[in-house]
Amino acid sequence: MTPRRFSIAALVLGVLGVIAYSRAVAFPVGGEQTALPPTTELNEDALDKPREVFKSEIAGAKSYVISLGDLAFNSPGILGGVARRGGVSCGTCHVNGTGNPKLFMPKMSTRPGNFDTTGPLFNPKADNFVLDPVRIPSLRGARYLAPYGHDGRMASLRDFVRTVIVGEFAGPEPSPMILDAIVAYIQDIDFLPNPSLGPGGRLIGRISESERRGEALFMKPFPHDPSLSCAGCHIPSGAFVDHRQHNVGSGGLFKTPTLRNADFNAPYFHDGRFDNFDQVVEHFDRAFDLGLATQDRRDLVAYLTAVGDGMQPYEHEGAGASLKEINSFTTVLGTAIPAGDKPVVSLAVDTIGNELRELTERYPDRKDTTVSGGEQQRGLARMALKELVLTLRRIDMAVTDGRTRDATAEFKNFRYLMVAAVPALLARAEPWSLFNPTVHDAHYAALWQVIQTTRASR
Amino acid sequence: MIDLKTAGCLALLAFNVNAANAAANVVSFQEPVKNYRSYLIEGIGQALAGARRLHDRAVAGDLQGAKAAWISARAGWERSEVFTAGFVPELDAQIDAWPNATSGFHAVETALFGAGRTAVEEYTTALVKHLDQLLGSLRDMPLAPQGLLDGAVRLAYEVGDSKADGGESRVSGTSLDDMRNNVAGISFAYRTIFAKSLQEADGKLATTVTMQLDRLIAIIGAPDLRRIDALALRRASEELVIALQSASNKLGLRRTALEPAAQ
Repeated sequence: MTPRRFSIAALVLGVLGVIAYSRAVAFPVGGEQTALPPTTELNEDALDKPREVFKSEIAGAKSYVISLGDLAFNSPGILGGVARRGGVSCGTCHVNGTGNPKLFMPKMSTRPGNFDTTGPLFNPKADNFVLDPVRIPSLRGARYLAPYGHDGRMASLRDFVRTVIVGEFAGPEPSPMILDAIVAYIQDIDFLPNPSLGPGGRLIGRISESERRGEALFMKPFPHDPSLSCAGCHIPSGAFVDHRQHNVGSGGLFKTPTLRNADFNAPYFHDGRFDNFDQVVEHFDRAFDLGLATQDRRDLVAYLTAVGDGMQPYEHEGAGASLKEINSFTTVLGTAIPAGDKPVVSLAVDTIGNELRELTERYPDRKDTTVSGGEQQRGLARMALKELVLTLRRIDMAVTDGRTRDATAEFKNFRYLMVAAVPALLARAEPWSLFNPTVHDAHYAALWQVIQTTRASR
Repeated sequence: MIDLKTAGCLALLAFNVNAANAAANVVSFQEPVKNYRSYLIEGIGQALAGARRLHDRAVAGDLQGAKAAWISARAGWERSEVFTAGFVPELDAQIDAWPNATSGFHAVETALFGAGRTAVEEYTTALVKHLDQLLGSLRDMPLAPQGLLDGAVRLAYEVGDSKADGGESRVSGTSLDDMRNNVAGISFAYRTIFAKSLQEADGKLATTVTMQLDRLIAIIGAPDLRRIDALALRRASEELVIALQSASNKLGLRRTALEPAAQ
């Protein structure tokens, strides 16, 4: 191996992983009877979720194909075996099309935020008998970031998506339409806007001196090999990538990751070995003998942080956000029902129904001892959501039986409830729901206590 | 105090719930309910006997014996859940509180199966008392068919909830047993109280309900919780709920609201 093309490839990634999910109370899978290994952490209870920005929504709205892709991306039904039984979808790892820095699966992860795609759990046939987890990458701006895979092994995003579904997660062969839809969805996910980045990827606006110095260092040729520089691989005018693989002293050839929005993409490097930009810069300083002074390192970190920033990276997870997503998925039914498209209707009903059932659990029932008050409001919210689930199921049954008119009438009813009744009922129950941080923390603390008690005795 | 907007929302949902309540038949359920009462007394009796044994074994420091008794008591309770949530909600909340229960089955479960300790006398004393109280009231308690159908429908929906996190009895690893006993309770309630009348009113629908029940039973016949296809389970649960809701109309009953607070 000749690591001639050392560059600051991984310099990229970075930072502020600590801000990740501000109120996250990690809740792992408990008990011994779960499809996923006990102590698996999916971070599904986080109250702040990454914000999704879509290219198509800037000009209008998401197309049917993109919405279908979004739906399929969040459906365990397109995956196989353990993933399907464990309720895992693409969106479990790529939350709102980004990464999941808290995801951890015993025997599949070596640290939160990485995952062995060739491990034994999801597809034993793909097991390479080596624990070699890779970082879960954000998909923001993926259309600019070919080739795909941490090692850049695939030029086609479509081929890569198929490999993940069929090869890594043992799913059935996806239909060409579903595959195209998922690709369209991924390609529609934009970077978060960063007002500090001007034309050609240069810093603009109110830039600190440290950031300016960092930018100069970033462009500067390496002392021992002037053909190399950070910017040589992380090309500022090209989304901070060069579409190539390099050996940066981390154990192989890996593709250059983007620096855009990297503040929110920790952990860093192909296997997620680094928690922050300081460690990344230190690695490059050592691996390439850059001779950086302490201030130089600080300046580079300041620069990376400025480049990796993005506007409003997280959104508070409330009923409104959930309903917005459900409404987006629901648009698929508006096309699939009149077309009598049974597979798509079933996929939509299963996926939306799942979302609605999960949303229902955000309004604890009266047996939940961690919540007091609002019993009637919670009951009404739960009832309304359950009615929606059943309405969807009636749609599925009607389409399966070829009763398109009945399905259309039920769909009209569903939309009416979604607009007229459900948002109001959920809003009234919100103070006693898990969207209220106090209720949320009490609820999960109680669950956590049960799990801790169990673990302590084993 | 309910404001106008909420009242409007409720009206919309009520329209949904009562939409199929047009052609009601008058059906007498007196005899079938009598048979169901015997089943209920037997189930709660089993739960009480198990709880007493659990108490004795725990006091004796016999962890394995206490665990076995807990499982036995739990089976009787779960078979009776068609009835418990709707008819005795206060006792239900004390006996089956969750997740950080300070009383009832799950408080005992965490101690026995989680911490491996038998110092649960406070909990088991209360559990025995509550179950005893419940059993004592069963003989004379009015059992409205509407309430029993509501209980069956709500429980059928609950069976379809995701158990990816280990389910309700995750500490003891007996969530699948809970589901099987729940479905056994639904099945018995339907076959004992409603099946014959539905067969007379709408034979095709009666066949559908039976098929849906059998499908659900087949799915939860999986060797353990990890082997269950969650999507298939959900689908079967929802289709059974829909079939039972359709049946309510044929039986002269209201279509069930899926939460007791909203009835």
